[in-house]
This record gives sequence, structure tokens and C-alpha cells, in this order.
Amino acid sequence: MMLWYKAWRESRDRFLLSAVTIAALCVGFVVFHRQGAEISDRPLTYLEYIWRIVYKGYLRELFVLLALLLGIGGLLRERDHGTAGFTLALPVSRPHLVLVRAATGLLEIAVLSLLPALVIPALSPLVGQFYPWSQSIQFAILWTAGGAFIFVIGFVASNVFGGEYTAPIAAFLGLLLYSVIVDLPFLEHYPLDIHDMMSGVGMPYFKSSVATLAGPLPWAELAIIFLIVISLVALAGRIAEHQDF
Amino acid sequence: MSSTCIIETHELTKRYGSFEAVCSLNLRVNSHRITGFLGRNGAGKSTTIKMLLGMTHPTAGAGVVLGKSINNPKENREMRREVAYVGEDKQLYAYMTVQQLIRFTKSFYPDWQRDVEHRLLQQYGLPLDRKVKALSKGMRTKLALLLALSRRPALLILDEPSEGLDPVSIEELLQALIAAAADGTTVFFSSHQIAEVERIAEHVCIIDRGKLVMDVSLDDMRQDYRRITLGFTQEQPREKFRIQGIQQIQTSGRQVVLLANQNADAILELARSMEPVSIDISAVGLREVFLETVKEAR
Repeated sequence: MMLWYKAWRESRDRFLLSAVTIAALCVGFVVFHRQGAEISDRPLTYLEYIWRIVYKGYLRELFVLLALLLGIGGLLRERDHGTAGFTLALPVSRPHLVLVRAATGLLEIAVLSLLPALVIPALSPLVGQFYPWSQSIQFAILWTAGGAFIFVIGFVASNVFGGEYTAPIAAFLGLLLYSVIVDLPFLEHYPLDIHDMMSGVGMPYFKSSVATLAGPLPWAELAIIFLIVISLVALAGRIAEHQDF
Repeated sequence: MSSTCIIETHELTKRYGSFEAVCSLNLRVNSHRITGFLGRNGAGKSTTIKMLLGMTHPTAGAGVVLGKSINNPKENREMRREVAYVGEDKQLYAYMTVQQLIRFTKSFYPDWQRDVEHRLLQQYGLPLDRKVKALSKGMRTKLALLLALSRRPALLILDEPSEGLDPVSIEELLQALIAAAADGTTVFFSSHQIAEVERIAEHVCIIDRGKLVMDVSLDDMRQDYRRITLGFTQEQPREKFRIQGIQQIQTSGRQVVLLANQNADAILELARSMEPVSIDISAVGLREVFLETVKEAR
């Protein structure tokens, strides 16, 4: 149990900062929705505005970045800080350490994904608007899966690269490379782009004319993403097992 | 108390590329005593300790600690339940308070000794609500010792425990190690500080360039090692003194200085038969033995 506490304490500041930022931005986007909607070249409905600015736009991009940063940490980072010896002397296996840290991070991602889903529908009536809970909950599910995928990129990078800045830079470059590859013309038609999957852009379950999720969520694809995440966490455990500290 | 082998390595080797940090190390450490692991900086002490604790994987060779293989991750993990480790830099989780770190550590050891914890907390004057990052290195060492000793480990391994400490803290540390050994804990500590090893260790293993170059009980060393200084009327060839028990021969004009590690009486008899004009015999300290051994190994 105390390993969970350790993992939480190590990511707590980053998580809370991320949560406050996301929540504050959601509040800002809802409260100042009139000014925000005016920026567009044509009048936007409230649903369109929220989708553009939150689920497709700035907030999703910020969420991706925060998910990547939440993945940073682990034994190599502890080695840089000098605490790896203390941790590794505990009667705990390295895969167990890796697993607990990954699970903590994934739970934090799920909470961050839920924040817009809670804040936006709850606040909207206060500004005379309505945003359906069903929409926001479905987006939260998509964001949890997408965030988990992004998180695990940072997580694996952290288990491979030591140094204070190497892992975040490697993770960012990894994400950039992935984003470029899935945007290649011959791959564009496959549902490989996690960013599109999170926003719904070009997806059969998204109706762009009204900016709402209209069809059933892609449960098979979501399951595959979680399988990939689990596999990459297991890979990180194997990598950690073979490292020298 | 009967003494059994608690650490044993067989041809333990660690290579980093072409650099051999530890080279075919055959180390034996017996229980219920304090063993000093002496060596220069970079001699391979920390790498050896890390291999014993499973932090670093051996390139070749094997080792057993408390009857558990260090090469097998599962056995190594089981072994760590009974082994406490205090690392060189004594870095602990900076974001936790002393109390949180104690609570965290004790959760891994069901046989945690609350009486020892409370006694050491009082003795060391550790502030429970202070964050670890706000502790001095001396205080961090005390906290690391508290975390290690409150488990009543069968084996306590320390890597350069006195590094960076002031003389008062070093003294408190050495007293703590003596007390732990008196309580039945086997203490194995690395150091390059000869004086502190000589002060508390009963046995010493000297490592140089990754190789074990000496493994001796300090009592035996004090009893067997002698410096014999002979004065002659004329220069003597070194070859005359190459006999069993002489570890080192130094000649300077008509003076010959022998470092004997055994057989001192027979050597003296031989020396007398060469009719020297003067004979001086003196006991040898660990410092001299260490310096001669390390010099010789080069």
C-alpha cells in the first residue's frame, strides 16, 4: 500500500497542477463562452464552441502534454536524485514498482479526463447554456484511453532514458514522430491517430455538423489501446528488471 | 555465537564495456562480526555491494547472501527482507517527512521493532515533522541508520557510511555500528577511511582494481604482521630475503626493511644468521598493510 503512497507523492504536484489548470481553463471557457465564440469566422453553437475549444482544441492539446509529463519518473529518475538505492533495497520486485507507478499515473489520467466532463455540464446552466452529460462522459472515456496512450509514451521513455531532461525530450519527440507518421497520406484512412480518436475528428462516431458524438464509441479500438498500454507497461517492467543502478 | 558464512561470492565479475569494475571476486564474510571492506576510490567496493543487493547485475560469477542467490531476482528479494542497506549519499525521499518515511519503511517489514525506533528517535533527536530535504547529511545518516536498525536486520550493509560526515557524526555512527553488532547484526561496511575500519572492524577485506587482495582478521594481522628492519655492514641482495612469509622487501643502502605477514620468528632466525649489526622489530598497523598491499597489487 505504501508503494502507492510513494507513487502518489512523486506525481502529486504535477497531477494537482494539471488538475487545477484544466479545471480553471474549463471554468474560463464556460464563463467567457460569448467572447470565445466570437473569435470564430462564423457563429458557433455552444456545443460547437465547447468542442472546438475543449475537446478538439487548446485543452486537448494541453491535456496531451500534461499526460506525457505525468509519465515521466521512475527508477532512472530516482537514480539521478540518489534515492534508487533506498528504493531498490526494499523487498519489492522492480516490475512491482513499475506497475504501481503506472497504475497511479493511469488513475490520475482518468481523473484529469473526467474534469472537463464534470466542470462543463455543471457550470453551463449558470451561464444560461446546456452541455449534455452524456457527451462529456463519452469524451472523458475517449480522453482516458488517449491519455493513457500518451502517458505510456512518457512512461516508457522514462524507463529507457536517464537524466533530468532526456526522458521528457525523448517522450516529446516520440509523440511528435507518432503524430507525423499517423498523418501520412497512406495511413490517414486507418483509425490510428489518437488525437483524432480523442476529438472525434473524421471518426464514424462523431457528427461534425453538430459537433457531437453520435454513434457508439469504438469499444474495440479502445480495448486495443488499453492492451497496447498494458503491453508497454509490461515492457517498461522488463526494461527496469535488466537495468543496472 | 557460532560464525557462519553470510556473504559468499564466487568469481563475481562486473564489466562496463572494456572496463572491469569487479574482477573474479571471491569474497567471504562471516556472521556476527564487523567486516570492513577497504579500498581506494573506484576500487569496486560500491559495485560489489550493489551486486550483492541485486541493484547491479553481475557480468559473470555468482554470489550468495544469507543463503539466497544474488543472481536470482526472487531469492534476492527474499534476502532483502533480512538485509538493511545504507547507501553512500544517504539520499532518502526528500518530499517525505521523517515520520512519513518511517511509516513508509516499516510497512515493508512485519518484524519492525518499535522499541528500537523510539529509542533511536530519542537518541538521535530526529524531528518527526521535518521534511527529509531539510535534514543535514548527518541527520540523514542517522535517519537511514534508524530505518535500517529498527528492522533488526541479520545483515547491515553500509557503503562509505562516514562519507561527508563531521567527526562527531562519524563517532556516533561508529558507536551505532558497534552496538548493532553487539545486538547480533552482522555488519559489512565499505570505506576508504583506514582509521575507522581499524577502530571497529574485526575482519577486513581489501579490494583493489576490482580484485580481492587481502582477507584477514585484524587480530591475526596485529599478531602476525611485523616490520623487521635490518642494518648490515654492506649492501645485501634482495633475493636473499625472498622466503615464505615476507610480503615486501625494501632495500636502502645497507638497510633492509621486511614486511612479514606470517612466520616472523623463522624470518628473524634467518635474519640473525646473516649477522646484521642491528635488528628492529615493530608491529604494523592496518594503514601500513593497506598501503603496502595496494602498492604491491599494482
